[in-house]
Amino acid sequence: MSGHMDISRNPGEAGQELRRIVRINEEIKSVVATAFKINLMAMNAIFLAKRAGQSALGFGVLSNELRRFATDLQQQMTVLRETTYGSVSTVTAQVKQSRVTRLLEKTRSDARGEGRAGIDRLLRSRHEAALTDSSDKISALNRRLSQMIADTTQLVELGSVLARSAKIEAAYGGGFSASLMQVSSDFEDTIGEIQRSLESLTRHQSEEFRA
Amino acid sequence: MKTARPIYEDDNHKWLAIVRDPDRPDYLIDTNEYLVVSNDDAILLDPGGSEVFPAVFSAISTVFDPRRINKVFASHQDPDIISSLSMWLEFNPQVKCYISWLWQSFIPHFGGQGETFIPIPDNGMDIVVGGLRLQAIPAHYLHSSGNFHLYDAKAKILFSGDVGAALLPPGEDGLFVEDFDRHIRHAEAFHRRWMGSDKAKRDWCARVSALEIDMICPQHGSIYRGADVKRFIDWFSRLDVGILKS
Ligand SMILES: [Fe+2]
Ligand SMILES: [Fe+2]
Repeated sequence: MSGHMDISRNPGEAGQELRRIVRINEEIKSVVATAFKINLMAMNAIFLAKRAGQSALGFGVLSNELRRFATDLQQQMTVLRETTYGSVSTVTAQVKQSRVTRLLEKTRSDARGEGRAGIDRLLRSRHEAALTDSSDKISALNRRLSQMIADTTQLVELGSVLARSAKIEAAYGGGFSASLMQVSSDFEDTIGEIQRSLESLTRHQSEEFRA
Repeated sequence: MKTARPIYEDDNHKWLAIVRDPDRPDYLIDTNEYLVVSNDDAILLDPGGSEVFPAVFSAISTVFDPRRINKVFASHQDPDIISSLSMWLEFNPQVKCYISWLWQSFIPHFGGQGETFIPIPDNGMDIVVGGLRLQAIPAHYLHSSGNFHLYDAKAKILFSGDVGAALLPPGEDGLFVEDFDRHIRHAEAFHRRWMGSDKAKRDWCARVSALEIDMICPQHGSIYRGADVKRFIDWFSRLDVGILKS
């Protein structure tokens, strides 16, 4: 993780960073929608398991777990979205700082005497404090985001195991076996969709470190 | 972060109000931004100050892909209206800004270059967004000397910039006006002090009375809808404006 973002030095990078955040956000949105779908599917599966009775006890337990998984995933996505909001704020602050720096640098090249010395001192202290501080902040936020995406990937891996187990349980569903099988395949497909979204999320997230 | 709330929806034609930021510091005036979406195109009305850019951008992102915004409309030149332009241009350098010709050379102090701006002539113009025709309606001297509102004849919505603005205390800051008499007390001092010309005010009242309007959407405070639209226009037409003491 070396690609240290420094908007103040590279004009255009703020826009790039914002567009990257938007791509991440679009994936978050699609995961949220899918998590919502899983929640509904799990509720239906719980009802179905109840109707199937004794032969679908295991399936019922797994459906409950899948529902909890969907709720956890939705929560995780909310936190992820809040983190991207933090990134937008930091980028905005950095653009403002870089604008001030640009103007100060121009002033330094125009000014003479005491005024110029004053600007020089100001630029030096700003450079040491604020700028490194805010690009550190972006890197820290990005590390947090990466960690959260990795955690989510693990959570979804768990969801996918649950869906596979539900499929196995469905086989013991007696007269309900066919419909339980259908429901568990739907789970598997939908979780597959989430996995694909997370893969692109991870890809968008890692773009930052290539710079 | 602010919230993006749909106020009108008809197929691929939508209005979103971006409102109320619980994290906003007290020293910043609260603003409403509006996004009009039509098919693949979208225009952001009074995008807001640079301080609220993160809140506005993130709120929009929750419901709409901001990469599709390639036009902004600025009712006038104030910092709470358009100082975020530089950030929108960072994000998408192709963004065009519609603003009164009067301010065309002032706004680049906030951001943008010559080709960023599409000057609106004094008598207004049509702005086409994704096949939808919006009208820039003159509202000069209310309060700015080069000032426009934006009318959507299909949605019957008038975006009214600072006209209709109210500075609402916490707890009385709903999205829509619920009790006109109670609400308008928070708008009165603002209109008396900020609106500079009685003649301009009468012109505006006559002009918008001729439009079919379901909602008046101001840049500060709550939205007037239904019967409150006419109530507001009547109230405004009777108000003494351009005076220093209320
Ligand atoms: Fe204003
Ligand atoms: Fe304003």
